[in-house]
Amino acid sequence: MGTLTIKNILPTYFEDNRKQTSEIWGKDLNFTNGDLIKIVAPSGTGKTSLIHFLYQLRDDYGGNILYNSKDLRQHNREDIAQLRKDCVSIILQDMRLFGEQTLLENLEIKRQLNPYHPQEKIVEMAKRLGIDGRLNALAKQCSYGEQQRSVIVRALMQPFDFLLMDEPFSHLDELNAQKAMELILEEVAQRNACIVFAELERVDYYPATKLFHL
Amino acid sequence: MSLSFKPIQPLLQTGTNASSRWLSYIGLGIGVLLLLCSIQMFINIQKLLREGSIRKDGFDFVSITKTITNETMGQPEKNLFNAVDIDELKKQPFIDAVSPLVANEFRVTLSAGSMLPFKTDMFLESLDNEFLDTIPPGFSWQQGQTNIPIILSSDFFEIYNVFAPGQGLPQVSKETAIGIPVQITCYGPNFQEYIFTGNIVAFSDRIHSVLVPKSFLHWANSTLSNKQEVKASRLFLKLKDVNDPKLIQFLDAKNYTVNSDKTLLGRNKIVLQGIFSGLGIFGLLVVVLALMLFSFYLQLVIARSRQSLELLLTLGYSPGWLGKNVSMRFIPVYIVIVLSALAFTQLMQWAFHKFIMFNRPELSSFAHWLVLLVALMLVILSAFTNFKLVNRLLYKLGNS
Repeated sequence: MGTLTIKNILPTYFEDNRKQTSEIWGKDLNFTNGDLIKIVAPSGTGKTSLIHFLYQLRDDYGGNILYNSKDLRQHNREDIAQLRKDCVSIILQDMRLFGEQTLLENLEIKRQLNPYHPQEKIVEMAKRLGIDGRLNALAKQCSYGEQQRSVIVRALMQPFDFLLMDEPFSHLDELNAQKAMELILEEVAQRNACIVFAELERVDYYPATKLFHL
Repeated sequence: MSLSFKPIQPLLQTGTNASSRWLSYIGLGIGVLLLLCSIQMFINIQKLLREGSIRKDGFDFVSITKTITNETMGQPEKNLFNAVDIDELKKQPFIDAVSPLVANEFRVTLSAGSMLPFKTDMFLESLDNEFLDTIPPGFSWQQGQTNIPIILSSDFFEIYNVFAPGQGLPQVSKETAIGIPVQITCYGPNFQEYIFTGNIVAFSDRIHSVLVPKSFLHWANSTLSNKQEVKASRLFLKLKDVNDPKLIQFLDAKNYTVNSDKTLLGRNKIVLQGIFSGLGIFGLLVVVLALMLFSFYLQLVIARSRQSLELLLTLGYSPGWLGKNVSMRFIPVYIVIVLSALAFTQLMQWAFHKFIMFNRPELSSFAHWLVLLVALMLVILSAFTNFKLVNRLLYKLGNS
């Protein structure tokens, strides 16, 4: 069982009055296994910043973020690495693949860190998302859509209690986005994990249990 | 986590700037070689220059005199050791004991009587028994005794045998010489003669003198000379190490002359030690510089691989694991470099022992264990320095 607690957080570059109009900034919130959180956030409202804060990619915020009652700021670098390996997975908006490695190599680099699935699962998931034919292509040679789908598969290669998603379908058409969502929901259900999904607008095929406006 | 570093390896840009890398390898190799060779030669010097001095019960014995210069010639008070001089010597930490060689203050002649047509003026000296290498039974004298036992320097005996044929005298063996009685005539201040018989009871390798029992010379000096105080022209020193640089420096400062064969080695030792210490320090500096150059190379590798390393950390790779694996990649290189330097050192030691020292037993053809230990420590030092640097750089990599 995992818990994610957000206490009165606000990016340091935002004015304090943002707290009044936001359902996230400046609020105390608790998320736990099984929650499907949707955060609707127009551009400039800080949704990427929020996801980065939750993953400890950035620290320029006031307030506290706690995983299982331990403040993120009390985690040292090894603790953070362990959190990312065992507990929190992420799909980043800017994808971040190793450009000179193939898609398969990229996925294996993540999978071998904490093998939740066997190696064959990579191919199976790639097939479902229609990128199995591109697994041996260098990441930098793939389209944004192909890269994004591989990043989704990568995020599902590990155990997690929380899956953070920052505009995960921005380069996918409706059909591929739905396929990807189906796969994600299956994997999350398997782990009884919590999703924190930040997107520009509502997505109908995401059965959110809680909805917040940033 | 039983992770494989193999998939990660291609992400590190170690192939770049190969010239910098090779330069640091070569520099490290040269530095290590200089250092190891210096240490080995230092040890060789210690072994070589320790031999040759006469030792008894773990001590060296040398005799010293005051250097006689044109200025001090004819001035006994400047050329002889007085009680103050002796006390000062006793206080030095590198001198264990001091004993004056007391000489005769009266005229002495020696003849072989009817045995050999040999007569000469001579000198007699006496020394504390402790300083004698051999104390034969019967080496004592009491007032009234007409026989004087003598311990003769082996060198003096050799000199006799060298010149004897030219003087029409027979050469004799040590065994025969011990059996030949001699006549010793001592002359008093009023030309009175005191005749004794003397016989050689032993030969000494250490004391270059004609030694008689201390009690005889004390009686003879007080009876046959007018002098109240007898000062010594020679002192014997009991030393832990005749080649101690501090001893050499002290004696030089006091203008004392030592048995040259004993301390020439000491002076050479100081010079050689100085040379090899200098080489060793230079070698160490080269090692340090090479390690610094290598650290710059590592910083370059990590800077160029920054994006990949940051992404690995983002994905959840442990900075400690990454640091350990990155720095361990270079350990085989360090081992090869140090082993190569060690092999060269061993080869040089073998060649030195065989072709320059002609297999002298004091030395070994094999490198000293201390050299092996230093080689091992250098590998550990290189690996440790690397590890610390890589870890520091990785922990500094910020989250983007």
